[in-house]
Amino acid sequence: MDAEFSIVLRVLADTLSYWWVIVPTIFLGLIVGAIPGFSAANTIIILLPLTLAMDLKMGIVFMVSLYCAARMGAGVPAILVNIPGTAGAAATPLDGYPMARQGRGQQALAISFVSSTLGGLLTTILAILLMPWLARVAYVMHSVEMIVVMLFGISLIASIASRDTLKGLIAGFFGLMIGFIGSDYVYATPRGTMGFLELYDGIPLIPALVGLFAVSEAFLIIENTSMLTDDGRRAMAKPGWGPTIEGCTIALTRWWHITWTSIIGLIVGIIPGAGAAIASFVAYQQSKTFSRTPELYGTGHPEGLIAPESANNGVTSGTLIPLLVIGIPGGATAAIMLVVMQYHGVSFGPALFRDKPEIGYGMFMVMAVTYVFMIATILPLSRYMSRVTMVSTAYMAPLIISFTLVGSFVPRQYMFDLYLALAFGVIGYIARKTGYHVAAILIGVILGPLLEQYFLRAMKMSQGDLSVLFSSEIGNVLWVCLALSLMVPYVLDWRRKRAAQAAIDAPED
Amino acid sequence: MSEPQSQTGKKSVGAELILPAGALVFTLYYFSTIVDSPWTAQVAALFTGSILIALILVFAGRIALLVSSGKADLGMKDIVEPLSLVPARCALIGLTILFAVLIDWGGFTLTSFAYMAAAMIMLNRGRAKGRALLISAAMSLAGWGLFIFAFGIRFPKGPFERLMDAIL
Repeated sequence: MDAEFSIVLRVLADTLSYWWVIVPTIFLGLIVGAIPGFSAANTIIILLPLTLAMDLKMGIVFMVSLYCAARMGAGVPAILVNIPGTAGAAATPLDGYPMARQGRGQQALAISFVSSTLGGLLTTILAILLMPWLARVAYVMHSVEMIVVMLFGISLIASIASRDTLKGLIAGFFGLMIGFIGSDYVYATPRGTMGFLELYDGIPLIPALVGLFAVSEAFLIIENTSMLTDDGRRAMAKPGWGPTIEGCTIALTRWWHITWTSIIGLIVGIIPGAGAAIASFVAYQQSKTFSRTPELYGTGHPEGLIAPESANNGVTSGTLIPLLVIGIPGGATAAIMLVVMQYHGVSFGPALFRDKPEIGYGMFMVMAVTYVFMIATILPLSRYMSRVTMVSTAYMAPLIISFTLVGSFVPRQYMFDLYLALAFGVIGYIARKTGYHVAAILIGVILGPLLEQYFLRAMKMSQGDLSVLFSSEIGNVLWVCLALSLMVPYVLDWRRKRAAQAAIDAPED
Repeated sequence: MSEPQSQTGKKSVGAELILPAGALVFTLYYFSTIVDSPWTAQVAALFTGSILIALILVFAGRIALLVSSGKADLGMKDIVEPLSLVPARCALIGLTILFAVLIDWGGFTLTSFAYMAAAMIMLNRGRAKGRALLISAAMSLAGWGLFIFAFGIRFPKGPFERLMDAIL
């Protein structure tokens, strides 16, 4: 025990000595996370020559800090201008943006930063303590179990659609159909590609994200001179530190909410191929399901912001567990880290923690230290960042369009993706103007191809036998959980109505 | 989304049919591309597409009932309102398409500058031209400095980027 403690202390001291790498990387990560197309994975790829030239420890410090900061940075534009920086932040604007429009952008940013930090720190500690057991999740999650996890995320469509179920479902299923564009996973037959070779790999996520959220938002905000409501403008007229403190308090008093939604992120993050988008959708959906005030979700409810932000930061530590323990990366960024670490001759598995604990534990220590540094550096900035919402829409709309459209070009460097983003912009604009939820479309676009992929894999393994979907014990438990989570809102709603009716009837008795 | 009321007091619901109509056309087109495909390529889309078509038919029925009962008309107000903004919106759409087309030739910095300046001046109705030019120049140069010069990201390159490549 003493030996392990001394290792942890040594790794901590070692990590802290790299503060001069961590701090600038945090700012770089916040910037690349905030602009669609510039994810942590892309940035590490772009800077790969630099990363490979660094010594191993510095390279790890750089990659992990960038990863954490980009995750947090993606939430900033999602809250302030309704544009998620990455797909992992796609659920953040559901409640974050209404808060910003109400002049509570500073409070929303503080809530997001505290939830992200606590969610990230907690899951980092859990990852260190429970690593051998958590790594088994990656082994037991096969196609069947993944189908149920995807359905958890997709069920958010129904949740979003609660105001107009039919429109919400049409948007969601339309998104799913768009998500099926591309070659099929077994025979590579092109489907629905309209003859475009660029669509054979499926719909790229960044142009979809940019079009549905950014371009359509830019065309909508020009209808007013300000992005804020009248009340929002009045609230923003008096700058101060109060909203930051309020935001921190709101987040800290909901520590339990942060805890369980970040654990959802941790578990989803461990599953190879899943990711922050799924985690944040699942966490949002579950948060709303078990909330006492589900009707407030979508109107600027803090819990609707806490859930996706805690979850997507929980994913960050989750993706590293299968990488370190079994050498299987849990996501794109972890896969690039694998390449860099293998270049430096690191071998993965239990031996890593025995032979090179400073690397195995070091990655999680960097993560923890980054979160602490990050909250200290970014929280004071929330007051100034929130002023973005005060910028006139005449300046904001062209800025949003030009930078995000170019961002859609970056991942694949096809001009086609720029036009695709414009096409999604048209869909997003029509959807918003006519009361369809763009988030429902995006959920379909993101989860549709994944669901199909796992379904086909399960069908191929069972030779077309549908009963395979109910053949695994863990899968069956997940099916029951899914059924329960779909039923719970109706049961709770019924109980609330009954209680309300009882309260009305009480004085008459 | 608030329900728009036409001058006759009816709700205009025609625009609500645009997305379902587009979805229906796309789904039918998608089906046409998988007719001769193996079942693995068909199963997910057929299942999802069938549900989507059913949902669209139910929605169309709902709209038809509203229209036939006189509670709504098939107006397209949702899309075009506010009418005073139609020229600005059309101009912004035109500028955005031009931006997307020209960026491959003009490069990120120059095209972004021209687009932002033109759009900002247009949206400001010709006021504060100096500020618009200054913001556009600062933002496009900052974008070049950060993404192209510092990170070496492969943005679309044009005369400005090539000139700077030659100088630096």
